[in-house]
Amino acid sequence: MNDAPWRLLSYRVLRAAENMAIDEAVFRLNRQEGLPPTLRFFGWQPPAVSLGYFQKTSREIDVAACRQAGIDIVRRPTGGKAVLHEHELTYSLVASADHPLFTGDIVGTYRVVSACIVEALRRLGLTPEIAFEGRTAAGTPLEGYCFAAPSRYELLVGGRKICGSAQVRARGTFLQHGSLLADLDPMRIASVMGVSVDGVTKTTTALREQLGRVIGYEDLARLLRGAFEDTLGVRLVESGLSPAEESLMQRLLSEKYDTDRWNLEGQGGSGADADTADS
Amino acid sequence: MSVFQEDLFYSREHTWVRVDGNIATVGISDYAQEQLGDIYTVELPEPDRDVEQDEAFGSIESSKSVAELISPVSGEVISVNEDIEDDTSVISSDPYGSGWLIMVELRDLDELNNLLDAEEYRDYVGEEAGEEE
Repeated sequence: MNDAPWRLLSYRVLRAAENMAIDEAVFRLNRQEGLPPTLRFFGWQPPAVSLGYFQKTSREIDVAACRQAGIDIVRRPTGGKAVLHEHELTYSLVASADHPLFTGDIVGTYRVVSACIVEALRRLGLTPEIAFEGRTAAGTPLEGYCFAAPSRYELLVGGRKICGSAQVRARGTFLQHGSLLADLDPMRIASVMGVSVDGVTKTTTALREQLGRVIGYEDLARLLRGAFEDTLGVRLVESGLSPAEESLMQRLLSEKYDTDRWNLEGQGGSGADADTADS
Repeated sequence: MSVFQEDLFYSREHTWVRVDGNIATVGISDYAQEQLGDIYTVELPEPDRDVEQDEAFGSIESSKSVAELISPVSGEVISVNEDIEDDTSVISSDPYGSGWLIMVELRDLDELNNLLDAEEYRDYVGEEAGEEE
């Protein structure tokens, strides 16, 4: 089973809505189209805040501040909290939940992906730890900010979070995506998330701070690709979206991820999904 | 060890169905709630809305994932468990009882043939037999 190559969608920098539409299209069609497990690396331009599927926009972020700063706002198909995507490499992985490497267990998926990212960070000379804790207590000032609360199988360096991930599952397939922080701008995060600068620096770190140098995103994507291949014993073959994925992506873009109705109000989610999944 | 209650139908998407006449009560299985961990939020349809077998009718967010809820039956939603909006923990503590999600007036009883019984579902999730029926 592990002999069959996986698909790699190479690093690209896209708008927030495009990134989420691609992730969801790949997730929705994986089983239907009989596509292999797919790993994608991407960046965000313009910078964007992504909200978790169930988050209340006005409670979590300052919409006006985002707009003024030219920061896009998008709602993810996955759970978790708000993330500012600016100086990071983002990965997404779509695979069948009963793939032998993932064994259908939710925590197992995080564990396997974490092992790959841990390997990449070790190759950079870092000593990451896996976080086991749950959420911070409700009502704390950093409640809505993703990197403030290490959740299961996320990665810390020196006790601070460097990589956070989120997941959605449906119809025997999972999508997991996550952010590996290359650099950190605590002032910027504080200004859009309504958290304190101090709170950000105490809970969050980034590769630049840890390594004392900047790594290019393409290099980081190459490093992660190698770590995934070696850790999982799979071969990644570069490819593109299938025609069906491309067409679903365009539809998700116009009907969902480019609309305020979904991004700000969280409306038009699962009902619309059912239509698109079955078309 | 998950509980697989005997008198229910199950779907491969980890929901259960209890049928009384043409009314089906739907929830998620004990196996599913164990997989999800702490459940934070549940999004359910409004009453009067139609649901279709094998199509999404809502979502659950837990400490580990968002899981789409796939309907095991087709018909009109006649009741939604409002208690779980205040306290989602009953889905974990009593998945086959007070943690039910929606009641549906069944449009086609034959659809139940597409579902699994407890033993088939237990085999499907690959677990050993539970201690309770």
